[in-house]
Amino acid sequence: MSEERREQEGSLQSRIIQVIIGIGGALVFPVIAILISFVIGAVIVLATGNNPLTAYSALIGGAFGSATGLGRTLLYTTPLIFTGLAVAVAFRAGLFNIGGEGQLYIGAITAAWLGVSLGGLGVAAIPLALAACVVTGFMWGAIPGVLKAYFGAHEVITTIMLNVIAINLAYYLAQNPLRQQGPIPGTESVPAEVRIPLIGIGLGRTNYGLAIALLAALVVYLLLWRTRLGFRIRAVGLSPGAAGYAGMSIGVNTVLALAIGGSFAALGGGVEILGVYGNMDVPFVANLGFSGIGVALLGRNHPVGVVLGALLFGGLNSGAQEMQFATDVPLQLASVLLAVILLLVTATRLVEFIIGKRARALAGARLEKGLGG
Amino acid sequence: MEAGEPRLAAEGLVVHSNTGATAVDGVSLEVRAGEILGIAGVDGNGQTELAEALAGVRAVAGGGVHLDGEDVTSSGADARQGRGLAYVPEDRGSKGLVQDFSLYENNALKTYDERPFSRWGWIFPSVMRRSAAENLRAYDVRPADPDARAGSLSGGNQQKAILARELSGDPGVIIASQPTRGVDVGAIEFIHRRLLEQRSEGKAILLISLELEEIRSLSDRILVMYAGRIAGEVGPYATDEELGLLMAGRGAERSA
Repeated sequence: MSEERREQEGSLQSRIIQVIIGIGGALVFPVIAILISFVIGAVIVLATGNNPLTAYSALIGGAFGSATGLGRTLLYTTPLIFTGLAVAVAFRAGLFNIGGEGQLYIGAITAAWLGVSLGGLGVAAIPLALAACVVTGFMWGAIPGVLKAYFGAHEVITTIMLNVIAINLAYYLAQNPLRQQGPIPGTESVPAEVRIPLIGIGLGRTNYGLAIALLAALVVYLLLWRTRLGFRIRAVGLSPGAAGYAGMSIGVNTVLALAIGGSFAALGGGVEILGVYGNMDVPFVANLGFSGIGVALLGRNHPVGVVLGALLFGGLNSGAQEMQFATDVPLQLASVLLAVILLLVTATRLVEFIIGKRARALAGARLEKGLGG
Repeated sequence: MEAGEPRLAAEGLVVHSNTGATAVDGVSLEVRAGEILGIAGVDGNGQTELAEALAGVRAVAGGGVHLDGEDVTSSGADARQGRGLAYVPEDRGSKGLVQDFSLYENNALKTYDERPFSRWGWIFPSVMRRSAAENLRAYDVRPADPDARAGSLSGGNQQKAILARELSGDPGVIIASQPTRGVDVGAIEFIHRRLLEQRSEGKAILLISLELEEIRSLSDRILVMYAGRIAGEVGPYATDEELGLLMAGRGAERSA
């Protein structure tokens, strides 16, 4: 009895150690990539005749140094968590969801419409409109899933194509049936009661959409590792052959993974409308969906990684504004840094060359799993 | 031991290969409780497709499959497994195991949606882990660590892990397709012992192997497959020459 208990404690200990090694291994590559990109960025800053230290302290200070800056960072982070999750869920099933952009627009137009038409319901309209975003995003995301599973169309192609359709569909609706009075193209504004409340405490426009995003990340974690559906999605993603032999349907799980991904991106669009913009202007904010691909890549398609990756993206974009204000370094430095980080995270062999094979062996297996390599 | 009731049966089974060619061309057979029915043959004479069709992972183009007297031709792998059919596929690397899953996840690969591993759509990894630890110890899988990645194990240990999963559910019928291919000697002996144990417990076992020695030493009856058909049936004491002629398609046509 006591031996069994000791054994259990031993296995608990070894599991804790495994988890720590796992987290460490997962962080090695992104952290190295971030450091290298900052070094490369420093060269660029020098070339523009500025002091890298001043620029970086302004960048980091601008992102996290003040309540206002942090608020702006979190504001930028929120939608990227949703679009990052949209990519990550699909990726776990072995699928590349490039359709986050369009899925986000589908959610945005859904929320812009229902936020106004259900406006009479007051606060109750918020959960209803967001739930509707989940449904429309699910259906929109299911389209490439069905095309892939039953007609053999590659999801990368179809999700890219569907972006164009979704964006123009949303714009059409925003400019025609849902158009507001006046010269500015876009939908009517949703009533104040239907707006997601601000968190306050000096965080500027940061609203409880952030809490919804974090909740969504938790939901993705539970879905993937604590439910039957998640078990199937992961099995199908890692080994369609073995999953099929175990009696799982590749087709059904393909459709579900893309559809669930779509519902998260659409929820992100809804949260942007009800939390930040209040209506859908034409043109609407661009690239949140595409950035989600980078966020998921950086976050290894794990919900915790997605949250951290979104925070990095949000922080760099937010801090760059402060940096541009404090120095002559252009705003685009943030984009350059992000691009270099993503390049390094993707180019595993380059990092291997830089940090040596042994270190790579520790982290590499996980990384390649994350990239499907 | 006297063989008992037929548990698994095929009647005039026709199965196509991945290329659409007829791989199994009208095979009828019966596996009875308490016997090992061996299927010998040169690789690529329809054995793989036959096993897959019997297990429910490949569509049947003609004929039928019966499990304990019930027609299961149109039911999937899931349903057949639920009726007590265990299947050890020949390709352990890409079919038997999810390489990047842990051993405990692989151990629950077919039962993840049943109690006690699951309830109301949720799964319980800690229960899976405990059950896997027991199975891995019982089947001498090394390392017996439920959290180890399946792909990190040697071929023999991977195969033992599959056997542990397939046999732990106390199935009535076992299809073992080349269960010892590419496996070390120690593991081969272990796997053979387990199959014989299952037979003496009254299980019906279909053993497909390219190794004549394995077929002869384990089987009670041997069917030889050639070009998708049963070329003949022989006993375990058949000579190399008899088997060889049948495997080359030169035997007297006989249908089982």
